[in-house]
Amino acid sequence: MTEIIVVTSGKGGVGKTTTSASMACGLARRGKRVAVIDFDIGLRNLDLIMGCERRVVYDFVNVINGDCTLKQALIKDKRLETLHVLAASQTRDKDALTEEGVRRVLDELTAEQFDYIICDSPAGIEKGAHLAMYFADRAVVVVNPEVSSVRDSDRILGLLASKTHRSANGNGGVKEHLLLTRYNPRRVANGEMMSVGDVKEILGLDVIGVVPESPDVLAASNAGVPVILNEDSDAAAAYGDAVARLLGEELPLRFLEEPKRGFFARMFGG
Amino acid sequence: MTTQTAEAAVAPAIDIRFGQVGLIQVLVWTTDPGAILDELTGRVATAPKFFQRTAVSLDIGPLGREPSVEEMHGVLGAVRRAGMCPVGLSSGAATAQALSQPLDLPLLPPFREFHPPAEAVGRAARHVEPVAAEPEPAGAVAQVNAHPVRSGQRLYARGRDLVVTAMVGAGAEVIADGCVHVYGALRGRAVAGARGDAAARVFCQEFHAELVSIAGVFRVFETLPPELAGKPVQAWLDGDALRFERLGA
Repeated sequence: MTEIIVVTSGKGGVGKTTTSASMACGLARRGKRVAVIDFDIGLRNLDLIMGCERRVVYDFVNVINGDCTLKQALIKDKRLETLHVLAASQTRDKDALTEEGVRRVLDELTAEQFDYIICDSPAGIEKGAHLAMYFADRAVVVVNPEVSSVRDSDRILGLLASKTHRSANGNGGVKEHLLLTRYNPRRVANGEMMSVGDVKEILGLDVIGVVPESPDVLAASNAGVPVILNEDSDAAAAYGDAVARLLGEELPLRFLEEPKRGFFARMFGG
Repeated sequence: MTTQTAEAAVAPAIDIRFGQVGLIQVLVWTTDPGAILDELTGRVATAPKFFQRTAVSLDIGPLGREPSVEEMHGVLGAVRRAGMCPVGLSSGAATAQALSQPLDLPLLPPFREFHPPAEAVGRAARHVEPVAAEPEPAGAVAQVNAHPVRSGQRLYARGRDLVVTAMVGAGAEVIADGCVHVYGALRGRAVAGARGDAAARVFCQEFHAELVSIAGVFRVFETLPPELAGKPVQAWLDGDALRFERLGA
């Protein structure tokens, strides 16, 4: 049974691609067969974050246009055997995607018995974002603890409830999860940032993970190694927890408090 | 080839559907374009997004007289300069028909019978044609929605009450010809009495509304009154004034 998960947000720059890459790695690390697809045609980034940008020969649009087979376009991850990447095209625009084409690719991946297909949505609510969410069974809505991101997520949740294949066919709708990124407990305590509780209350949804703000995320992106693979990082641990919750495990949320600093660190800074 | 032409012949160039949209009424008290523009730019400034390129109907009933075509051109110019788009003309008086053609604006039925203030009651004998209301199903039960109404979504309960048993997000709109009940947080816009029923009310469990409107009288909340914010609140129309009160206080 293949499950299609869209990672979306409405607003740009909140961490959709970082989340797609880490979630895909996390699922693959647990032995699941995973394909992660970049829907951001024209601004492809996922391949960079996954560190396979030099191995992109064929892309998503090529598969849709029938220029190549799906097998030729799927890039096997070098670290995790069961993980595959389908890159976006950098030279086309979003009109290259069609509902029929996307459906065909997803059907083919389902026939290949992938356990999870992760759709990395572009920002916005236009065609690319629409098609990324249209066939989804579940949605991970990435939100930063600030008002504009929360507002855009609310908009996206409205679209998930009304403009998807599941909602149109009355299949119980898309299952929605909230993932907070760039969470800074110190700024929350100072009242500069919205808390998990605030975001949960406004959006009326449960939180599948809270990823603390961390310099490891940028470092990981630049290195082309999804942050979840960095064993020493809090962000990695938080993504690991989110993957576990996605699979139905119940874990308490971590990293909601500022880490206690030792006496020396407080005295001398650190 | 023949089937293709046949299909092309069947495909219509346009579809005509009957639909209803909310329309903002501008009650015209004076034909002085300067005064209108001053007033409008002030109001528009309090809610610029709300009025930008908003379709409005001009109700010349409050003038209490028949304006000339030139005067109305001045009024239209002022309204347009304030950013609104006049799309219709309404008046209780039958003589407004004469203005419709030269102004190139359709004549719309008056939205809500205009109540002149006390000092003007003397001329209130003007004949108001009753709005041809469509027959509604008798005692229609409220339209119930159990899902959150998200930003950008709009719910309309036609000819009945609207009950939302979840929250209404900022930027969402809940509209009913009857009352609007929100058993949850109301952060968006609530419009009750969308077709002019001044007895309609808005109820919510947690008040954070951006805008509340009853029978066309609305209030925009740039800042929430502290005694209402987050509280269970009802809103109703008292004459031409919108009133708010904490429920169960």
